[in-house]
Amino acid sequence: MVQDTRLIELKGISKSFGDTQVLHNIDLYIRKCEFITLLGPSGCGKTTLLRIIGGFEMPDEGSVLFEGADMLPVPPYKRRINTVFQKYALFSHLNVFDNIAFGLNLKEPEALGVKTRRQKKEEIARRVNRMLRLVKMEGYEKRSIDQLSGGQQQRIAIARALVNEPEVLLLDEPLGALDLKLRKEMQVELKAMQQQLGITFIYVTHDQEEALTMSDTVVVLNGGRIQQIGEPKRIYDEPKNAFVADFIGESNILSGVMKEDCLVEMLGVEFQCVDEGFGKDEPVDVVVRPEDIMIVGTDVGMLTGVVESVIFKGVHYEMMVNTGTMRWKVHSTTMQPVGSRVGMSIVPFNIHIMRKEA
Amino acid sequence: MKRSWYAAPYALWMLMFTVVPLLFVCYYAFTTKTGDFTLANITKIFDYTPVLLDSLRLALYCTVLCLLIGYPAAYFLSSKDLSRSQSLAVLILVPMWMNFLLRTYAMMTLFENNGVLNSIFEALGLPKQQIIGTEGAVLVGMVYNFLPFMILPIYTVLKKLDPRVIEAAEDLGANPFRVISRVVLPLSVPGIVSGITMVFMPAVTTFAISRLMSSGMIYLMGDMIEEYFISMNNRNVGSAMSLVMMVLILISIGLLRKADPEGQGGGLW
Amino acid sequence: MVRRRRRASKAFKITYLALVLAFLYVPIAIMIALSFNASVSRAEWTGFTLDWYRKLFHSEAIISALKVTLEVAVLATAASTVLGTLGAIGMYSMKKGWATILTNVSYLPMTTPDIVTGVSLMLMFVFMKIPLGKGTMLMAHIAFDTPYVLFSVMPRLQQMNPNLYEAALDLGCHPLKALYKVILPEVMPGVVTGALLAFTMSLDDFVISYFTSSTDQNLSMIVYSAARRGVEPTMYALSTLMFLCILMLLLVVNRRSRLEDMSN
Repeated sequence: MVQDTRLIELKGISKSFGDTQVLHNIDLYIRKCEFITLLGPSGCGKTTLLRIIGGFEMPDEGSVLFEGADMLPVPPYKRRINTVFQKYALFSHLNVFDNIAFGLNLKEPEALGVKTRRQKKEEIARRVNRMLRLVKMEGYEKRSIDQLSGGQQQRIAIARALVNEPEVLLLDEPLGALDLKLRKEMQVELKAMQQQLGITFIYVTHDQEEALTMSDTVVVLNGGRIQQIGEPKRIYDEPKNAFVADFIGESNILSGVMKEDCLVEMLGVEFQCVDEGFGKDEPVDVVVRPEDIMIVGTDVGMLTGVVESVIFKGVHYEMMVNTGTMRWKVHSTTMQPVGSRVGMSIVPFNIHIMRKEA
Repeated sequence: MKRSWYAAPYALWMLMFTVVPLLFVCYYAFTTKTGDFTLANITKIFDYTPVLLDSLRLALYCTVLCLLIGYPAAYFLSSKDLSRSQSLAVLILVPMWMNFLLRTYAMMTLFENNGVLNSIFEALGLPKQQIIGTEGAVLVGMVYNFLPFMILPIYTVLKKLDPRVIEAAEDLGANPFRVISRVVLPLSVPGIVSGITMVFMPAVTTFAISRLMSSGMIYLMGDMIEEYFISMNNRNVGSAMSLVMMVLILISIGLLRKADPEGQGGGLW
Repeated sequence: MVRRRRRASKAFKITYLALVLAFLYVPIAIMIALSFNASVSRAEWTGFTLDWYRKLFHSEAIISALKVTLEVAVLATAASTVLGTLGAIGMYSMKKGWATILTNVSYLPMTTPDIVTGVSLMLMFVFMKIPLGKGTMLMAHIAFDTPYVLFSVMPRLQQMNPNLYEAALDLGCHPLKALYKVILPEVMPGVVTGALLAFTMSLDDFVISYFTSSTDQNLSMIVYSAARRGVEPTMYALSTLMFLCILMLLLVVNRRSRLEDMSN
């Protein structure tokens, strides 16, 4: 389980490539045994942040502490961190066994708890086989890398990193190249592995669903700035700004004005909500998730509109409802025919108010 | 990253044995034997205007002939309906790697006064022909030597051409002639540019081919440069000539590159 | 109808290619045949002989030229392979501006006419009072061979997953060790192709050797001086042997690159 000790601390990290600044003053701490995900659209700086932790990039400003000690002068080959690279970066001139054994082979026998070279060889074989069992790839030792499928290569890349017993495992979009079904399976397996081994995972992805499923903590990044840090459920339920709301899940975002505590006006209608502490008549962004809108009769709805389109999404229907002032995205398990007039109702708890971004 | 220092020995070597020697050519071209600045070496080249024009003319003929013969060959080689076209391509390209003196030597054997061609003429009761020594012989020798250098880059570009592009043109109603003139030819421009460069450059500076195929009767710029360096031991005029040839070539490459701004023509491989 | 037209076009293509091939190969074939002809004359065939080959191997000039050629080719290949491979690896991790400059310099020997490369090197050697011989020839060969190695290693590096080197470091590999444990094996096919190319180019070179060496001659220089005197059957024998050697080398190179194509 996640412990309270801070394992890695990033303080004021900034980084530019040429004229473009990819990271702005990032502050972040990572706790022991935490599964933390850096989430954001491509170009948001998440991979650069990961590479700084791995030691492959140097920040322009700021510091990286590992158990309180400055980590920046430590070269990557001396850090107790291992990485699962995007597209795996397996060594195609080595077979499966030698790929996994690569890191161990570089160590002195003493580091593996044995004395002679021969014992080292046996110890390596033992550890590699244990890893192959862990990633369910027993019997593939002698295979060449080219003979493996994408999913199998993925498992070998994980085994190659984990066999070195790192304190932290960095994963850079490790499931990006896999098909949907395999990706879902691997998500479950990765999470299970992390809990079983008790290792800190720092995971980079642009897939919000993946981030929400696996993580203890999600860090949402955009434009090189941290937008929000929190548990998956909190981030989903209480996005801090319009970007997070839009990026995580689907949502209807509209402008409104706070009339008083727990009362917001949008589209000329006043709604009860649960948010307090905004100034009187302060302009705000309002988020309503499509599944939180209830379709009701036109006579009882807070808003009424015409159904413009209906798409079947497997479990629910996605409908676009035009209220004249706004098009609402609504998810519902019951279908309303196109062209019909419907009423819509939102309970106060599901109206989420955010401060306007500057 | 320190890894870039691995290139230091290479960079040093290239500087020492490529850049510096070319600077020497510039230096010698503008100095007298005693080391004083002069333009006399450059103006001396005007004495050889006919030779220069001959070199350019023959190189131009050679390039055009190579293109006319080579383009269809490259096009046919790249066509999908020939099985084993890959092996055929290798066969056509092998002579390119063969020592050009050997190739010239082989040509001499054919064209000599007592050579194979004249024996055939004799056997047929035709009069003997003096072939060696004529401009035609030099031209054939050059085309023979440089033809593969035209075929290869065009073939490389055509081979990479997506066959669906041609199918799309046919689908849109282009007849075979239109397919070639409107689609294949424009798309192979990079290969043509590369081929012209690879033929024209060695052709305009060749010295051994003209010397051997004309038994010393026809002098081209290459022969003049050799003459000045080896026999006459006048390196200043020789350098001036080399410099002028290089500038001429750079200008023509520059003009050609305008036709292929991305420089995507297939190179040597 | 369509099929007949297609067959006709195929026949035309084959005929055309056959003619081009004939143009390219008939002179070489005749030359090879004549190397076995007992008569000195090119006009008549008077019987099969190996005399010209025997004469070839008894000629001291040719044997010493063979030695010079091989010595220079082997040494130039070794030196240019090391220089070119390290150069490519270095350039690959260089800042873009410097890499562009160095790439352009690397193209210089390929875009400079051979004769200019030859005289430029000659000028420098003469200026530095280095006697023109095997040594200067070797230096010149390294200079024009190395870019070929560089340009056959470079694409391999560019195709390489850039994370491979980082993965090695990540697993605890020292940067120097990572170079030969990971990068070198990865670019090896390019290195071997480059070395073979360099060897072929070096064996084959005439123009640059001609200007950079006067005391020592390589085989091409022997062929040239003999050709200026007129055609001679021993030269047919020598040419035949050189042709076969290059052919064999090329087959090896071609086989390799095709194997690479398949494995990619």
